[in-house]
This record gives sequence, C-alpha cells and structure tokens, in this order.
Amino acid sequence: MMPRPYFKGWLLRVVPLLLLVGVWAFVSATKLADPAFLPSPLAVLAAFSDLLSGGEIARNLLITLFRAAVGLVLGAVSGVWIGLMMARSQIFRAYVAPIVGGTYSLPKSALIPLFALWFGIGNVTAICAVYLACLLPMIVNTFHGVTATPKVLTWSAEALGTGDREMLSRIYLRHALPDIFTGLRIALGFSFVLAISSEMIASTSGIGKLVFMYGENGTYDYMFGALSCIVIVAFLADRAMLAVTAYCLRWHESAARAETA
Amino acid sequence: MAEQRVSIYSLRLRSLVSVLLLLSAWELAARMHLTPPLFLPPFSVVAMQLGRSLADGTLVADLALSLYRTFAGLALAAAAGVLIGMLMAQSRFVHWMIDPIVALAFPAPKIAFIPVFILWFGIESLSKILLVAFACVFPVIIGTYSAARSVNRIFLWSAFSLGTSKTALLGRVILPACYPRIFATLRIALPVALITTFTAEMVAGGGGMGATLIYSQRFFESPTVYAYIVIMLCVGLVLDAAMVKFQSRYLAWSE
Repeated sequence: MMPRPYFKGWLLRVVPLLLLVGVWAFVSATKLADPAFLPSPLAVLAAFSDLLSGGEIARNLLITLFRAAVGLVLGAVSGVWIGLMMARSQIFRAYVAPIVGGTYSLPKSALIPLFALWFGIGNVTAICAVYLACLLPMIVNTFHGVTATPKVLTWSAEALGTGDREMLSRIYLRHALPDIFTGLRIALGFSFVLAISSEMIASTSGIGKLVFMYGENGTYDYMFGALSCIVIVAFLADRAMLAVTAYCLRWHESAARAETA
Repeated sequence: MAEQRVSIYSLRLRSLVSVLLLLSAWELAARMHLTPPLFLPPFSVVAMQLGRSLADGTLVADLALSLYRTFAGLALAAAAGVLIGMLMAQSRFVHWMIDPIVALAFPAPKIAFIPVFILWFGIESLSKILLVAFACVFPVIIGTYSAARSVNRIFLWSAFSLGTSKTALLGRVILPACYPRIFATLRIALPVALITTFTAEMVAGGGGMGATLIYSQRFFESPTVYAYIVIMLCVGLVLDAAMVKFQSRYLAWSE
C-alpha cells in the first residue's frame, strides 16, 4: 500500500540522495566538520575511482562475495532440507528443535573467534560463520511454510494419487516457496554482515579488511570510497534478490496484489 | 502434521536426549583427545571456568557493559525510528525525502561502518551505542511506517466523527494501533543489536563481552572463549523469551 508518489519517476527518487551529498559537500567545504574526519565528496569520489581502476576493490570484493555466496548457498540448501525434515517428522523435530531454538538467537559473530581457533584465518572461518548465520533463518522459514500447508491441498493431491516424493516437491516445498524466499532475503543480509565481520576480526583479505585497514592507516577518503562500494553492492544484491523473488513467485497471489497496488 | 502418533512425553524425552547427547559427545571427544584440548576443552572444564568468571565478577561486568550498549542503542533506534516512520506516514514530502535513503541504507551491512564510528566517536561506549542505533533504526522506520499506513480506517473515521483533533489522533489512535507491529519489529531488531554490539567490541575493543572473548582467543584461553559463547547463547535465548512473554502479556489485545 504505497502512497501516491510525491513526484513521479524513479529519477526523482535520486534527488534526496543528491541533496544528502550536497549537505555533505557543504559541511566539508565550509569546514563545519574537520576535513580530517569527513573528507569531501570529491575526495571520496577520486579515491573511489582510483580504487576501481587499481583493481584493489575488484580483487577484495570478489573474495568477500565468494565467501558470502558459498556460505549462503550451502546454508540455504541445508536449511531448506532441515526445515522440511523438521516439518514432516515429529521425531526428527524433537531431536533438532532444541538445538535450532538454542542457536537461533545466538549472535553468530560470537563464533568467529572460535572458528578462527579451529580453521585459522581466511576463507574457511568466514564461510563457516556465513553458513551458520544463513542456515537458521532458512530452517525456521521453511519449517513455517511447510507446516502451514492447507490440508485441502495435501488431501487433494493424495486423492489424485501423488506419490510421497512428489508430495514434497510439488505440494510442501511449493507452498513454502514464499517463506523460503523471505528467509533467503534475511540470509542474504546476514551473509554480508558475517562475511565482513569475520574479515575485520580474522582475515588478511576481503573488502571488510580493506575498509578496516584504510581506517587504521588514516586514509579516510579511501575508507569512505571502499565503504560506499559495499553499500552499493549490498543494495544491488538486495534488489536482484527481490527481482528473482518476484519472477519465481509470479504465479503466487502475492504477485497479483503487488500488481494492483 | 506428520502422520506418526508419538506421545508428547516421548518427544520431550527425545529433545532432552538430544541436548544431553551433544554435551556428552563434546565431553567424550575432548576427554579422549580426539581433538587437541586447545580447540575443544571438555564441557566440565568450560563449566568450571564459567563458574570462576562468574565468581570473580569479570563476566558480570562485561555482560552489564555489553547489555548497556545494546539497549541504549536499541532505545535510540526505537525513538528515532518511530518518529521518522510516523512522519513518513503522515507527510508525503517527508516520505519522498527519506524513502530513498532508507531504501539504500536498509540492505547495507552496517557493521562495515565500524571504522567510521571509531573515527568520529572513539572506541568507548558512545561509538558502539550509535552504531547499534544506526544498525537498528532502518528496520524500525520501515516497520513503523507500514504499521501506520495500515491502521484500520474505521478507527480513524470513528475518531474524526467524535471530533478528535489531528494531533490527538496521532497520539491516541494511530500510535497505539501501531504498538504491536512496532514491538514485533523491535523483536527482530534485538538480535541485530546484540550482533552489532558483540562484533564492534571484538573489532574495536573497549571492554564488554566481545572484547574479552577476542582477548581470550588471542591468548589461547579456550575455556574462557567457550564459557563466553555459552553466556552469549543464553543471553539471546533469555532476551527473546522475555520479549515473547511481554508481547503475550501486554499486546495480546492485538491478536
């Protein structure tokens, strides 16, 4: 239920962001804020383009995205599987539920020092942290989606002679798909947070380490440049996830509602 | 539901068995030296370390500092988020101004801003509280805004026809109608606040659970590392259970 836009067109949605940059430029030009603490937008832009052309950003960003993506995919696949099992078997649920419930609210970044102890610093530690952080929202959302399958659907499918295996893929998972995508969007956010956290705590590479390193060296224009790159990438990834969700759920009633709204 | 008929007691028993199995597997693996004790100290050693840290007060002091940062940041985020969300719902101009900023900032991993907050606000509590507030404010804005937009029209019409002024409408009808959804958003924001606090403490130091955890890890005091993780797990569980309790006690009317 979006209100009618104040001005039309997405171009006008950029105006407030430009205004924000304008305020930033004004504050740094009039020395209201110490330029050592807040470099001007132009300096940040120069640093940004320097980082881009030097390949520094691309190299570290690829490392971070690799860690986040591997953890996310592994977490999503095993999360859907565990959630489905929990919803379909009371006995499996009885064994797993206390562990899932206990670790669900654990701040997963607390495990990074532990993983660093086990696996050293680098890819494995980061991927493990991302994996665990993505796993739990996927389990919980899949579980909710599958248990909420209406009896009418399962009865009809059974009456039409759907086999057990087909029931899983064509009825239960299909019904849980919107919830699975909700979980995926949460997991996507977590994957960035955990990948960057573990790079700041225990890594020698990655975009999180890069930002932290520029901060420690005092090259703040580069720090803000790398940081804006993270913000842009996270924004684009979130939008891409929304687009994929809308495409995959175009048959679902939520899609029809979005169209009329 | 699943087809098998299993009594509730046997299910409870299985849940208990599962936790006990996990703990005894931990204890056994450590005692049989399947893994080096540095990586996995026995559960009993961790429990004893937990008792020691509790007794000498370091754990309590760390926990109090971390929780202070978490809740101060969350309170700031709640106050600012509810205010901005309400304004966005009331004025299309404010919505036009704020919405693109929220859309850009909401998916950003706020933890990456730690160096900026250290630069501006130092490494003590202030920078952590503000970072927590920054991480939690955007979900609160979105939650409040969509709650305020979807207030039942009938409430608004009734209030209008009884002569309620515009400001009274906001304070006495719209805001109370939003309480349940705002609270639900805060329940989502709480784990984010905890993660942000612990991570900021791990990266920047300045005391608290996260700082002690990372120091213990650097000095290879594994029992302390495990003891602190166990406490963090309990904190998450207890706080979430408390919020559920509060929700069912004071906001049950919304069901």
